[in-house]
Amino acid sequence: MFTRRGFIRVTTASVGSLALGPFGLLPAMAQSASNYRALVCVFMFGGNDSNNSVIPMDDTNYKAYSSIRGSLALSASELTPTVYSTSNAPYAFHGKLPELASLFSSKELAVVANVGSLVQPLTRAQYQAAQVPVPANLFSHSDQQAQWQTSIAQGNGATGWAGRVADYVGAQKMNASTFPVFFSVAGNALLGTGANTQPVAVSPGGNLNLLGFNSSASSQARYDCLTSLLTTDSGLSLAQAANNTLANSINDATNLSNALAKGTPLKTTFPKTTLGEQLQQVAQIIQVASYLGMNRQIFFCSAGGFDTHGGELETHNALYPQVSQAISAFYSATQELGVAENVSTFTESDFNRTFQPTTTDGSDHAWGGHHMVIGGAVAGGQIYGAFPTFELGGPNDTDTRGRWIPTTAIDQYGATLASWFGIPDSVLPTIFPNFPNFGSQKLTFLG
Amino acid sequence: MKSLFCLLVLSLSAFSQQMTDRAAARFLDQATWGPTPEAIAVLEKTGITDWLEAQYKAALSDLPDQPLLSSTGTTNENLAPVTAAFYQNAVNGPDQLRQRVAFALSEIWVVSQTTVPAAYAFPPYWRIFRDNAFKNYRDIIKAVTLSPAMGTYLNMANNNKANPAKGTAANENYARELMQLFTLGLIELNPDGSPALDSNHNPVPTYDQAVVTNLAKAITGWTYPTAPGATAKNNNPPYYFGQMFAVEAEHDTTAKAIFNGLTIPAGQTAEQDLDTLIDDLMAQPTMAPFVSQQLIQHLVASNPSPAYIQRVSEVFSGMHGALRPVIAAILTDPEARADDDAGATVSANFGHFREPVLFLASMLRGLNASVGPANTLNGYSQELGQNLFVAPSVFSYFSPQYQIEGGLLGPEFQINSTQTSADRANIVSTTLYGSLDKTTTLSLAPFVDQAASIGNLVNYIGYVFLHSGMSTVLTQAATAAAAAQSTPTAKAQAALYVILSSSEYQVIH
Repeated sequence: MFTRRGFIRVTTASVGSLALGPFGLLPAMAQSASNYRALVCVFMFGGNDSNNSVIPMDDTNYKAYSSIRGSLALSASELTPTVYSTSNAPYAFHGKLPELASLFSSKELAVVANVGSLVQPLTRAQYQAAQVPVPANLFSHSDQQAQWQTSIAQGNGATGWAGRVADYVGAQKMNASTFPVFFSVAGNALLGTGANTQPVAVSPGGNLNLLGFNSSASSQARYDCLTSLLTTDSGLSLAQAANNTLANSINDATNLSNALAKGTPLKTTFPKTTLGEQLQQVAQIIQVASYLGMNRQIFFCSAGGFDTHGGELETHNALYPQVSQAISAFYSATQELGVAENVSTFTESDFNRTFQPTTTDGSDHAWGGHHMVIGGAVAGGQIYGAFPTFELGGPNDTDTRGRWIPTTAIDQYGATLASWFGIPDSVLPTIFPNFPNFGSQKLTFLG
Repeated sequence: MKSLFCLLVLSLSAFSQQMTDRAAARFLDQATWGPTPEAIAVLEKTGITDWLEAQYKAALSDLPDQPLLSSTGTTNENLAPVTAAFYQNAVNGPDQLRQRVAFALSEIWVVSQTTVPAAYAFPPYWRIFRDNAFKNYRDIIKAVTLSPAMGTYLNMANNNKANPAKGTAANENYARELMQLFTLGLIELNPDGSPALDSNHNPVPTYDQAVVTNLAKAITGWTYPTAPGATAKNNNPPYYFGQMFAVEAEHDTTAKAIFNGLTIPAGQTAEQDLDTLIDDLMAQPTMAPFVSQQLIQHLVASNPSPAYIQRVSEVFSGMHGALRPVIAAILTDPEARADDDAGATVSANFGHFREPVLFLASMLRGLNASVGPANTLNGYSQELGQNLFVAPSVFSYFSPQYQIEGGLLGPEFQINSTQTSADRANIVSTTLYGSLDKTTTLSLAPFVDQAASIGNLVNYIGYVFLHSGMSTVLTQAATAAAAAQSTPTAKAQAALYVILSSSEYQVIH
């Protein structure tokens, strides 16, 4: 089973190259920025209560919002000033998301309303009568996180939709190198697991270099012994899995450090937060993408702590500035690098939360939520899809607590992103197998 | 003739009780934080049965209670003394089996500092698992449910009944995760861990959303212990010593329909509702395989056979959740012991990947480490994705269902990335060639002493770290690495580096 990526390069990399990181293994690919495209996922773990991220400010909706959300309802002073969509509808963002509101106003941010995991479209009546297939293990963190990443609502998806996109990129040789298409700065992610391609994960500011080696013969001998074991089948499946990951790491290490050595400090200042540091690392990789031989890359970032069953307002006040400032800084960095049109950032999260509050000033697990796509290529300043009717037990509610049945599927959201990335329409159903259940209808937030 | 027969039987019996180095070291890799020559010798002398009895009675390791406030009067969030003590206990503590079981339980029943900032919450929470590791699962359910640390983490504390005037509903957080993660899982299981299927061959959910909503009502009406000197309120502020107590005025007394057609009757107190709920949970046949499989995965193997799961879960259900016989069943199962005899054919899928804490502790134990009270070893487990007491979510550091390529389960692989696999090798390098921290010292002398003969050296490393069963290829690689060095110390370091960073060591098998 040891056939994942061209491991052969490991054995040709000398100890000297490992320690000193000389360039030359990769030709610096001449590449115009217009040919480059990157998708950047910002996953908000725990289930972001997006009911409080962006709020329709017309009288009917805001009145229903204030009345039903009770202790969670944001007053005018807790919201950004009203911003208007391109169709002149009023919205406000959470007051701690001012940078995102500003990007909406400047038409660089689009909101996709009430999107979530679906097998096929369904109504409240169909849901309650259990007449139509619904996603596996609704309202469970682990399952819904997986479904956002696999886009397979039936569950048990073994590969992520971005991993399947990466498989296509690899098969079509859309990149000049075999460096992984999927680059995580937040650990392993199902989103980027492909059938034939493996992701790379690097910590912000980190590298994959092995320590403790120099160019002496004794050191080289020890290094060769270490790597020789990675190509040996020990007969133990789990040991092979560990070998494969370390082999991938060694395989990627030299390319990565050689490329990063070509980088120059970014002028954009990033916040010193977990997400800020992750997105800074992404910007630094994008800066040297040509040295990695990359025309197509997908990045994974994440922030945690969004499971706000209690104390939600305080938690949002702490977390939202981190999200807003980091995404805004990243967008500025793409402008600085001249690739704002070439990079699209999008949010994912386990699920939205109950519109009805809990007795502990929080909200419980729900379903369809509102997401954001940011970038120079985004047809921003607009809402795509539709907000639910703010009514407990209303037409969009599964029960009586305001768990919105999504009206746009993850498949549509993902297919729109993948299409912009360069996946032909004919290939989309192989990456998003449920996409035809939604009439293969893409959204229009990306050209 | 008759006497000869008796003699033969006697000697065979005596022979079968004498554990080999291999068998003893394998067992210790499953039941402790890692074999050492001393521990191997003790186990060989006592045998497994007596060793287990001694471990049940071993002196308890403790984690030190922490001050509530920092020197500046703010909440004390410094867990460093607690994590340092954790590593001291793991490397040198006497109650090795208890610690391993407690750690496994704490990875099921997660409370994390991500939402419980107070450091002093954690030693008492940890003691629930230490003290109940050999008692009954039922006791753990109740103790955790009433723990103020869990009260904060999953909102059991101050979860008042619904307030119609305010339009609120009972918080569903603990109700859901109690079922999904701690007791039942998402789908009904057969005793062998396989999904129980309905007549249409579909899995059967253990509960639905309505059950979550109702169960949330059943556990309303609990608040934090009253701090010394404070006045009890219906909704006390957080206080992490002692157990939560019931506030009947905030408890929902309506009847609640829960899982499997059961109902918690109307009119009960908060404690009565909780006891009814725990009775009902304990009566669910799916709990035995759900819990048994995870304990097997933590101690022995990521992919236990259905028969192995069934043997353990039958003990769990037959003994009504008593953990001592369950742990003994896990460790003495024929599948766990199958490879004790050198040359036995074991499943290619056997074993499990060392999680970071186990990797560090077992490496240090084998290297005769002395770990000081101010050690910072948790920084290394954090680098590898396992920051003690700071799991990223209630789903712990990794999922028992995490799949590696090819569909095998490999829970610990969820945090093994290109980054952390390089980090792991680099930590081996720092251990051998540098210094892990100022208070951790190793003794490589027993290895260096063997280095006059590389064959003896590699053999000795295999005895300490690889159950006297190192593969030929690893033996050859370690030998070649040592042979390229000039001094005995360098030979020992090089052989240890190749072996300790190898997947053959990282996967306990």
